[in-house]
Amino acid sequence: MSLTNPHSSSSAPSSARVQGMKRSVQAAFDDPSDRGLGSGYQSKVRVVDRYKVIGFISSGTYGRVYKAVGRQGQPGEFAIKKFKPDKEGEQIQYTGISQSAVREMALCSELANLNVIRLVEIILEDKCIFMVFEYAEHDLLQIIHHHTQNPRCPIPATMVKSIMFQLLNGCQYLHANWVLHRDLKPANIMVTSAGQVKIGDLGLARLFHKPLHSLYGGDKVVVTIWYRAPELLLGSRHYTPAIDMWAVGCIFAELLSLRPIFKGEEAKMDSKKTVPFQRNQMQKIVDIMGMPTKERWPYLTSMHEYSSLGMLQTPMMHHHSHQHHHGSSKSSASTSHLEEWYYRTIGTHSGSSTSSPAHGNPNNNNNNNLASLGAEGYKLLAGLLEYDPEKRLTAQQALQHPFFSTGDKVSNNCFEGLKTTYPQRRVSQDDNDIRTSSLPGTKRSGLPDDSLARPAKRVKEA
Amino acid sequence: MAASFWESTQRRYWMFSKEELAQMREKLCDEDPKLVQSYPLPDWKYLYIYFNQQIARLGKRLSVRQQVIATAQLYIKRFYCKVEIRRTNPYLVITTALYLACKMEESPQHIRLVATEARSLWPDFLSLDTSRLGECEFFLISEMNSQLIIHQPYRTLATLQSDFYLTQDEINLSWSIINDHYVTDLPLLYPPHIVALTAILLSLVLRPNSMTGASAANNIAAAGAALAQAQVGRGGMAGGGTGASSGQTTPGAPGTTDKDKQQEARFGKVQRFAAFVAESQVDIEAMVDCTQEMISFYEVHEQYNDKATRDQINRFIKARGLDKA
Repeated sequence: MSLTNPHSSSSAPSSARVQGMKRSVQAAFDDPSDRGLGSGYQSKVRVVDRYKVIGFISSGTYGRVYKAVGRQGQPGEFAIKKFKPDKEGEQIQYTGISQSAVREMALCSELANLNVIRLVEIILEDKCIFMVFEYAEHDLLQIIHHHTQNPRCPIPATMVKSIMFQLLNGCQYLHANWVLHRDLKPANIMVTSAGQVKIGDLGLARLFHKPLHSLYGGDKVVVTIWYRAPELLLGSRHYTPAIDMWAVGCIFAELLSLRPIFKGEEAKMDSKKTVPFQRNQMQKIVDIMGMPTKERWPYLTSMHEYSSLGMLQTPMMHHHSHQHHHGSSKSSASTSHLEEWYYRTIGTHSGSSTSSPAHGNPNNNNNNNLASLGAEGYKLLAGLLEYDPEKRLTAQQALQHPFFSTGDKVSNNCFEGLKTTYPQRRVSQDDNDIRTSSLPGTKRSGLPDDSLARPAKRVKEA
Repeated sequence: MAASFWESTQRRYWMFSKEELAQMREKLCDEDPKLVQSYPLPDWKYLYIYFNQQIARLGKRLSVRQQVIATAQLYIKRFYCKVEIRRTNPYLVITTALYLACKMEESPQHIRLVATEARSLWPDFLSLDTSRLGECEFFLISEMNSQLIIHQPYRTLATLQSDFYLTQDEINLSWSIINDHYVTDLPLLYPPHIVALTAILLSLVLRPNSMTGASAANNIAAAGAALAQAQVGRGGMAGGGTGASSGQTTPGAPGTTDKDKQQEARFGKVQRFAAFVAESQVDIEAMVDCTQEMISFYEVHEQYNDKATRDQINRFIKARGLDKA
């Protein structure tokens, strides 16, 4: 099984093997291909025969991701996601595949779209699952981060437009196929070196067509907190593709401002494992979007956490320096400040301290600064960050938004015409042995900057 | 794609012609003729009946829904298209398929619970060791190329039941005919909507409790007549849109008996159904074949010998030590 690799954890005698010894020796010789027997399950394909691992990319709760190239003439590069087997450190046993891994395997096997990361194959070997994906050199988190580095400069308007179109196109495909992604955030949006946007990490995704049980039942908490839709924060039981669209709105805002628009702090689950009201996160939303009202969102009052809204403070813009003060007496608690936020963001972007709007853009391309996104950009953003999930733009509607049909033509290469080159994904050489089960750390090697530390993905399987 | 059957892996990789299916099975037998001769087994249709009963027992213990059982049944069928049954422990495969189907149909069960319940049903053939189940899961997923999303006819039935004004009895009958088709090769042969439409047709022409014995012949004749009418209708009414409405009759005039009314309503529904099929692009020949397969399944069911089937399965498991582990 693992004679070539003495480090492999499976080289220790497994209980399966010992048991296998007990059965008739003759039978063992007769039927080397018997399954469900002592000889055990053997993969027909071995990951190390098919791929040469050239480095370690990142790790998370699920396991680790490696960069690899094909050994058997497969063109291109690959990202291999290795699911962590349970019971790290001990003798590895088959413990049953987690539901989220089963979902991801099944969904990725069905899906095929230019803007969704492509699964190449799945290899089940040595009690581990290896999902082989096409490789993407960049992701939105890394791209946004690059633009915050000295000198801080906004992402060019054409690039924002292209990214948004491709992202929405991928979403539209997922939703048309009854797939909710449930964890859209910059780190999960891949970008290839050819400028193609690919939605990645379907680890939380699932089908929503007539589920046997309420979607709430399975995973009580979904979506990384900064991208979590208000209906989720307010305890909605029956959520819809609209939760992904809220996250897309947050990503749009982040592409403009280079920082999360609603950067709240996550309230941890208490000892009784009750899901807490995410007061701080909701406050961040209310600060910009105003208080939700039942006029704008008729189902608001039936939300589980509706009463908790009373705990929130009246919204106020924290960046008041630029604000018009005169209207404050007239504006009610429910007034949205998104428009102000938008125009301030696309106007003077080159750093909050400088007062020269629009001139700080080092791309030296006046047609390509964010101001060119104009009023349609605001309308699209407002349509995505709509409180009422029923009124929020669907992916299909957003794709047909005038934002994409006016102004610059949308390219399917988000880097088209740009001189900027983005750093390649950092690949570390610390752990090149995909077959060992060393304890995964939790750090992402791609980003040295810990100040960017993102809240951990919340996955709570019931 | 997950939503569109036409783009799905189910249609692209897991639908076969009868000839292809026969060839795959033959190929498995040819790989080791000695093994096959040493342990004769009844025909697949009888094995399926046995598996169906066993999986239903386990499903009942775990209180899983019919949809989960249906998915598990299709997993088992796919698996045995690619793996010689005499090399496996069918009880382990059944248990694993159900365990996996529970996860895929979003009603997961703990592996230990599944193993415990399975063991209590088949104590002579399974161990309590959950790692056997986990290992078999790898085997199952690998043979299915991780293509685990199953499109079922139940959804089509739910969509169409109001279009055809089906009564609760007719819905129930259609539903159980769909359940029954999972005991046959049909889910490997025809798309779910063909099966659903066939089930609806049968529910309209069959009387409840009349699916057995001699009356089956009459029923197939009735179903065949309806489909023949649809076929004729398709030729005759190019572009015609009147069929659907003409087929629907309003309940009988006052004074007629309940029985008359029922018959009239039933007749109207069959007409309506035939008109629908005629107008749509549905493969009528597939429906004819599907109908015949269902009727012959009900006949086969009468000849099924449970004990003989069980003994033959248990014999190779024990003789080959497939239960040990």
